Amino acid sequence: MAEVEETLKRIQSQKGVQGIIIVNSEGIPIKTTMDNSSTVQYVGLIHQLVMKARSTLRDLDPQNDLTFLRIRSKKNEIMIAPDKDYFLIVIQNPSD
Amino acid sequence: VKEQVTEDMLNEVVNIYLTETETITHLDMPGISVSVDADDAEAIKERNNRYAELCKNRMGNDKYMDRSMQAFIGASKSKQVQCDSIVMVDTACEATTWDMYDSFYGAEQDKTELTAEPEKSGYSESIVNSSRGPEKTTSLLSTTSIGNTTLEDDAADPRLILQSEKFQKVLLVMERCILANIFQPKLAAYRQLPIVEGKQWLSPHRSIKHNVVTPETMEHREEDVERSLSPTLESLWVFSCELTKGRTISCMAWNKKNPDLLAVGYGEFDFRDQTPGLVCCWSLKNPTWPERVYHCNTGVTSLDFSAKHPYRLAVGMTDGTIAIYYVYSQDKTCAVSSSKCSKKHYSSTWQVKWAEQDMGLSGDDKEEALMSISADGRISKWFLHDDLDCVELMRLKRMQEEKDEMETEVKDKKKKGEILRSLNAGFCFDFHPVDSSIYLAGSIDGTIYKCSSSNSQQFLETYSQHFGPVTRIKWCPFNPNVFLSCSLDWTIKLWIQDQLTPLLCLTSTQKQVHDIMWSPKWATVFGAINEGQMKIWNLDYSTLDPVIVHMAAPGVKMTSLLFALQTDCVLVGDNSGQVTVYQIKNFTVGEGTGTVPVV
Repeated sequence: MAEVEETLKRIQSQKGVQGIIIVNSEGIPIKTTMDNSSTVQYVGLIHQLVMKARSTLRDLDPQNDLTFLRIRSKKNEIMIAPDKDYFLIVIQNPSD
Repeated sequence: VKEQVTEDMLNEVVNIYLTETETITHLDMPGISVSVDADDAEAIKERNNRYAELCKNRMGNDKYMDRSMQAFIGASKSKQVQCDSIVMVDTACEATTWDMYDSFYGAEQDKTELTAEPEKSGYSESIVNSSRGPEKTTSLLSTTSIGNTTLEDDAADPRLILQSEKFQKVLLVMERCILANIFQPKLAAYRQLPIVEGKQWLSPHRSIKHNVVTPETMEHREEDVERSLSPTLESLWVFSCELTKGRTISCMAWNKKNPDLLAVGYGEFDFRDQTPGLVCCWSLKNPTWPERVYHCNTGVTSLDFSAKHPYRLAVGMTDGTIAIYYVYSQDKTCAVSSSKCSKKHYSSTWQVKWAEQDMGLSGDDKEEALMSISADGRISKWFLHDDLDCVELMRLKRMQEEKDEMETEVKDKKKKGEILRSLNAGFCFDFHPVDSSIYLAGSIDGTIYKCSSSNSQQFLETYSQHFGPVTRIKWCPFNPNVFLSCSLDWTIKLWIQDQLTPLLCLTSTQKQVHDIMWSPKWATVFGAINEGQMKIWNLDYSTLDPVIVHMAAPGVKMTSLLFALQTDCVLVGDNSGQVTVYQIKNFTVGEGTGTVPVV
């Protein structure tokens, strides 16, 4: 448990990381470093996106599955690691 | 007694069967025509004729009269009936390929083939499943039924999630992704990929910052050369973290199988400083935190990865113990240690190395054994069975000719003809690249011994041209007859194997030389570390001056050097706990490959 906390702290302190959100499968944030409204907004929208991405991948090949999703935008990058029980979302702006 | 008519009886379905008997038949259609040959044909004909006549006479006959009558008309009543409204519901289900796949392979773990029929049953099953699913399923995007919908999907306890191993792996990947974003230009430079100038998405306004060389502590040497840019070192990044701050780096080694994995040993050179040592395994993917951290009891003096079993890392320490760590596991403790061995070194182990040795007579058996040299003057060969056990390869006896004053730890140096001679503390050694049974060992009094592992009594050669402890010996990887040695007497000497005097003696500053290494890429190039400077020499170019001189930051002493194997980079460790990765730029080597300039 301490290792996990340490790793999370390290990630948080990396250059340009704006927020980390861990959500469970029902869409309830377990751990977040951002304010509540942004968290809820991100969670709601990202959940749908991940479902769609996963569905797309598996339609193409049912034996495949989504392991990581990165969305690069003009302002920042959102990295999502989806799993059966949870999502890990990190938002980074490396040019900070 | 009348039977009680119950509700059930009324609702009971009663079956009624109609069957034919002897007298009653189902179908009874009397015929309307009679055959001419029948018995009563005459009578019927008679009757037919009489009827026809009757009909003829009827017309104007008084016997018959028309008369009308009125029938009762029943009173009609209108009645209305209303039935329950039939509720129409629209249900839709999306049966995607993976949904079928999952329900088919997942819950039942059926191994039947995917013929048309089972597919259909799977289809209908998936409809049923999704309607029974615990989550909302009437939405078209009913993709919540991923995997097994029959699983009770109550959300896992948050603590369990955070503690699970999978989560840790995910965190690892995530951290690496983030760092890859941050370090991308540097890593690209390391891999010698062309860097995209200008249009970096990362920093549209500050696009140049990442790519331009920012000379922090670099000092260019003015080269009188036709090239427009002189060879320099560009600092790419630094391996350092909280744990390593302030520690001296004593040794570094690349993993033989995975060239991106670096092991760094931290240990103080000073004997009086008894801080416990540290070994960190760094990966290129994460320069901010090591992948593995091993705390050792005493300072670490040397490291080596095994070539045959690339997960084995041998560590030599200042108390003479040798430990072997298995880096594949997350286990923080060492796998094997030599502390219980009776023949272990009782003084600092200065260097350890894995080398292949011929075991059998055939010469085909090459087993890898761990060799170590230590300050107690012995070179040992260790075997790893269940525990470490060693065999002594050589003792570094002092030579007959008297040398200059030794350190205080050595006794009885003045008396000649002594039977009990104390041993010469060994500092470094190196195995011949081609014939691995020959090795060179450097000692604290400046003597270099050439020995063979088959002969543990005598030295093949001794080279005694150094005046101070020999800190490093390295065979040239391109020319098997040549080796370099450096020592605390400020010199670097280049030797040819059978000549007792060195071919070249290189001094550039009057500082102790701690480490040298041949470049794995260019035959005449090697790097050396003095205390405050890192120098790259190119013997082809000049034997008087180094080609590149790099000054350390003020107050920082460089202690260790390592060339990167597949790229033009050099790693320098210093006494503040940082390993800096430098890229050698604008460095071109002439045609000489391996031919040593004859002086």
